[in-house]
Amino acid sequence: MDFKRFRLIFKLISQNKKLSEKRHPMFERNRFMKFFAYGMVAFMACYLIFFGVLFANAFADGSKEACDMLNQGIIIFLILDFFFRFGMQETPAQEVKPYKVMPIPTNTLMHIFLIKRGWNWYNVFFFFFFVPFGIMTIATTPYFGVWGFVGYLLGIWLLFVFNAYWYLFWRTLINHHIVYVLLPILIYVALIFFGMFTDEWLFEGSMKFMRGFIEWNPICFLSVLAAIIIMYYVNLWLQKKLIYAEIAKVEKVKKVKSSEMSFLNRYGVIGEYLKLEIKSIARNNVVRKIFISGVIITLLFCSVTAFTPAYDGGFMRIFICIYCFAVYGIMTLTNIMGVEGNYIDGLMSRKESVLSLLKAKFYFYCFMLLIPTLFMIAPVATGKYTIYELLGCLFFTPGCIFPFLFILAIFNNTTMNLTQKIQQRTTNSKAQFFVSLGAMLIPMVVMYVLVMLLGSVWGGVVMMVLGLIGVVLHHVWLKTIYKQFMIRRYENMSSFRATRNA
Amino acid sequence: MKTCQVSVQLETLKKVFGENVALDIDTFTINSGDVLGLVGNNGAGKTTLFRLILDLLKPNTGHVTIKTEDAEYITSNCEDWKTFTGAHIDSGFLIDYLTPDEYFSFIGKVNNISKEEIEEQLKRYEDFMSGEVCGQNKLIRNLSAGNQQKVGIIAALLNHPSLLILDEPFNFLDPSSQIAMKYLLEDYNKQTGATILVSSHNLTHTLDICTRVALLEHGHIIKDYNKDDSDMIAEIEQYFEGNVHHETIATEA
Repeated sequence: MDFKRFRLIFKLISQNKKLSEKRHPMFERNRFMKFFAYGMVAFMACYLIFFGVLFANAFADGSKEACDMLNQGIIIFLILDFFFRFGMQETPAQEVKPYKVMPIPTNTLMHIFLIKRGWNWYNVFFFFFFVPFGIMTIATTPYFGVWGFVGYLLGIWLLFVFNAYWYLFWRTLINHHIVYVLLPILIYVALIFFGMFTDEWLFEGSMKFMRGFIEWNPICFLSVLAAIIIMYYVNLWLQKKLIYAEIAKVEKVKKVKSSEMSFLNRYGVIGEYLKLEIKSIARNNVVRKIFISGVIITLLFCSVTAFTPAYDGGFMRIFICIYCFAVYGIMTLTNIMGVEGNYIDGLMSRKESVLSLLKAKFYFYCFMLLIPTLFMIAPVATGKYTIYELLGCLFFTPGCIFPFLFILAIFNNTTMNLTQKIQQRTTNSKAQFFVSLGAMLIPMVVMYVLVMLLGSVWGGVVMMVLGLIGVVLHHVWLKTIYKQFMIRRYENMSSFRATRNA
Repeated sequence: MKTCQVSVQLETLKKVFGENVALDIDTFTINSGDVLGLVGNNGAGKTTLFRLILDLLKPNTGHVTIKTEDAEYITSNCEDWKTFTGAHIDSGFLIDYLTPDEYFSFIGKVNNISKEEIEEQLKRYEDFMSGEVCGQNKLIRNLSAGNQQKVGIIAALLNHPSLLILDEPFNFLDPSSQIAMKYLLEDYNKQTGATILVSSHNLTHTLDICTRVALLEHGHIIKDYNKDDSDMIAEIEQYFEGNVHHETIATEA
């Protein structure tokens, strides 16, 4: 293929890629999310600039040059970059699928997708850190000067390009077997472990190597270039080898164990929706991951609170108590109706099924509060909390925090893709953002004020009473939420349909 | 076993998407016991009409009234009509992380149908399911499109609906299942007197089972035929033939 045609195809594929990013369903449906994502990138950039300046100042008075100090730990930046990439990229073998039947040689396509991996803005994202750091520690020093700074940035860029190909190699491998997840973990742990005991080998070595970039040592540049080229061709070989496996990939259909869950039959229709909630967690990747991470985070915070003095301080004590009870609800209920978006038409064609569903969800999440309750017995026993505070949180969460979170059932209208492997929460909206923030902050303030004013016993009692009122009235507020949901039903159903399988 | 008598009345029903008028029907009545077939090319408004009847879309103007012997329901104002209505439009009706058995059991329980009755009903559909739906321990999402379609259709029939709405029920089905489907709908209508609304691109099957056929074009019902109309088949075939520009296609080819 001549260069002109290669360039044309490269341009066309780049345009398609840009369009696919620009027209991502998550952004198309949700302008807030688009701005939120840009805001997050800007925030990360500012964060890196801040740390760049901070590190330059912190290392300024050391026994070594500031840049040498930082360069000793360059591996940390590469590890961070490696894990930041996780979940962000498809492999070329996956990307090539739609072009496979077109009159473009597979080899050309593979080269294009691989070149795009190296020639990518993401590979210079860490410049937000290294540019301010380099200006303060290299460019402005008489010894290195601007030329040294340029060499340093070029070297850093080459390292990140190498990292991109190394990540791609690993990502392709884990697509074919999950055991490869261990590969970078083993390599990085081994590197850091040996580095700890042999300063010369890793930390001193990386310092000297990075100094080579600043001093424009051709061996340093050529060695990274050689590593990039080797990694490029390893990837090319691997992608070509796996392309047919990727195209012909058919998910193995697992036989499921059907469970009657007859103990829930006594609860009638609500029992059926409870079964649905449990099966949804057990059988859908994304929901299961949110459930597991919610439970782990709850257990983690409960354990830290129970067995360490880490959160013994005034406000932190309150924060952790509320957090242990509310975190699971906040993590899962902010996406309420996202799962149901997949079969919303079926639900809506049956009388009051959404109301029954909301009730079942409420009972399920109340039941889940047993986990933090059990774990919080230990800090109560050690005197960190009074039993009244524990009971206060136990009732306040379903009675006052849950109604707040359940309001999102009215506004959430993005269907959650249940089969994707990587948790990619596509349902963030303005309402979700503010409700989850409010669900966390308001109870904390309420509890803090109550405990400050009335003490931990009466403060807990007041919370318990407030919570009990909410629990007793749950039929009323759920019915109100359902009525509001029905008012917005057409808008929501249309959005659920539009985002299904997106 | 007879179901209650249900008729459907459409009044000044209009649905617009952007600038595109998807449906615009002045008045139209579907009588109790009718088996109405909706035919028309893509974009004619068949699915939109079904969604409007089922209150899954908001009309720009007008409303749908479902009438029984005892009451009248404007579908957007209440939900009582849902208790005697069964429908399957697309996969958005299926809870795909359940197995078909679990799904039927779920539908049965939310409709207050006993387990025994569900089993008895499923036996009736055994031929239609041809041993590939129940007892497989596969999630609905892992079934073939045809078997998913069967799950949706059977689920719509489980509560003995007086009003049954099926969008493209012959889609994805193999020829034997299509014929079984045809008999199933005919028998259901004869035994229960239910009102059935079916849309399909399969003219032969539609004309075979329907007592009435409405021809839709760009959101309008341009012709309403009774089965007794002697020129129905010829006219419908002529209509679809007329939409194909043989000469243009031949030249392009």
